Amino acid sequence: MNTDSPIIEIQNLSRRYGKLDAVNGLSLTVRPGKCYGFFGRNGAGKTTTIKCLLNLLRPDSGSVRVFGLDPRKDEVAVKSRLAYVPDMVAFYPWMTVRDTLEYLASFRKHWNGEIEADLLKRFQLDPKQKASHLSKGQRTQLALIGAICPEPELLVLDEPTSGLDPIVRREFIETVIGAYQSSDPGRRTVFVSTHLISEFEGLIDEFTIIEQGRELLTMEADAARDRFRKIRARFAEMPKLNLTGALSVKTSGRELEILANGNSEQLLAELKTHSPEELRCESLSLEEIFVASDILKKAKG
Amino acid sequence: MLLQIDFKSGKPVYLQLVDQIRYAAASGGLRTGEPLPSIRPLAEELRVNRNTVAKAYAELENQGVIETIPGKGCFLRESNSPFTKSARAKILTKEIDEAVVAAHHLQVDRDAFLALVKERLDSFERKVKEKSDND
Repeated sequence: MNTDSPIIEIQNLSRRYGKLDAVNGLSLTVRPGKCYGFFGRNGAGKTTTIKCLLNLLRPDSGSVRVFGLDPRKDEVAVKSRLAYVPDMVAFYPWMTVRDTLEYLASFRKHWNGEIEADLLKRFQLDPKQKASHLSKGQRTQLALIGAICPEPELLVLDEPTSGLDPIVRREFIETVIGAYQSSDPGRRTVFVSTHLISEFEGLIDEFTIIEQGRELLTMEADAARDRFRKIRARFAEMPKLNLTGALSVKTSGRELEILANGNSEQLLAELKTHSPEELRCESLSLEEIFVASDILKKAKG
Repeated sequence: MLLQIDFKSGKPVYLQLVDQIRYAAASGGLRTGEPLPSIRPLAEELRVNRNTVAKAYAELENQGVIETIPGKGCFLRESNSPFTKSARAKILTKEIDEAVVAAHHLQVDRDAFLALVKERLDSFERKVKEKSDND
């Protein structure tokens, strides 16, 4: 396989539950070595998409390729090269932490025992503890150890940090950055679905926002922060302004808040001609871009 | 040297790291021969992608600010400007122009602007001196 060929390639994917279109014509491409964010509200179709990647669900139409392979035909080949952490992790309750890791390792060709020992120590997990006695945070940590030790080429995370306390969340992300990416980062790809976007902000190279089963926006993170900006201005007296091209304009007395979509320079220039008392411009974070996606949808028509 | 990322600045994350490390080098926060933080711990601490830190370091190496010594890490270079005098002037002119435009909009006049530039130069020199005195 060519090193630049996509790790995940979804084309025109659709999956219905009865009459409900959970995923409806979704396409996206994830390149090797990237961390790809998959953002959407609850029920937008994120988990359905991920289940199609893992052959836990069959697509109604469209195609899904992982490592260039069809997960339906080459399920074992695909699954042996990836690891998956779902939002609800379940283990056999009678097994201890040690048993669980040995059980998980038995399915893998490769298992990095050094990383395992490091992470058990870092998370302060007791190998003799029964899985049924673990807290939600500890279960997620155990699942993460199980996902990282095989050093898979692809790590699929589905809402991995929801319901965890802030410290566990932080450790989770640091572990993905540190332990997972530690060797051969060019071959360590992450596909993460989440609505806790701000926590993953620094990790995300590229993202797709999905809404009602359709792609709403796909962009590189740096390019998105450059394109979507919030401008605030205050005038001595509100002038007549030409703000065509602004995504949204909010006014309150003499103050103005504008969302710019790639045209912040032009809008700033227009505002400056009216000598504002105060003028500030900042980028939207990925989370704010996600929240503003309603406005985007209207802008798209 | 402590680094910080601001996602609201609109500047690509790797360039923020490049600028901050160059700033640290100019203000004495990082001295010749001092090692930069290793990529992995820095990425973990800032919670940014490893590739982003690696890209920043590669850019700094291209600019001749740092050098990589295999097996030891990245270090600030002795003379950390590989540019010719005219190239340096050109790069600086662009940055100064931005400050001049900002001064115009903020209605800072010529004398006040020049005084501020002098004040900043003094301030950097003081910082460098304090750092070397503390050794």
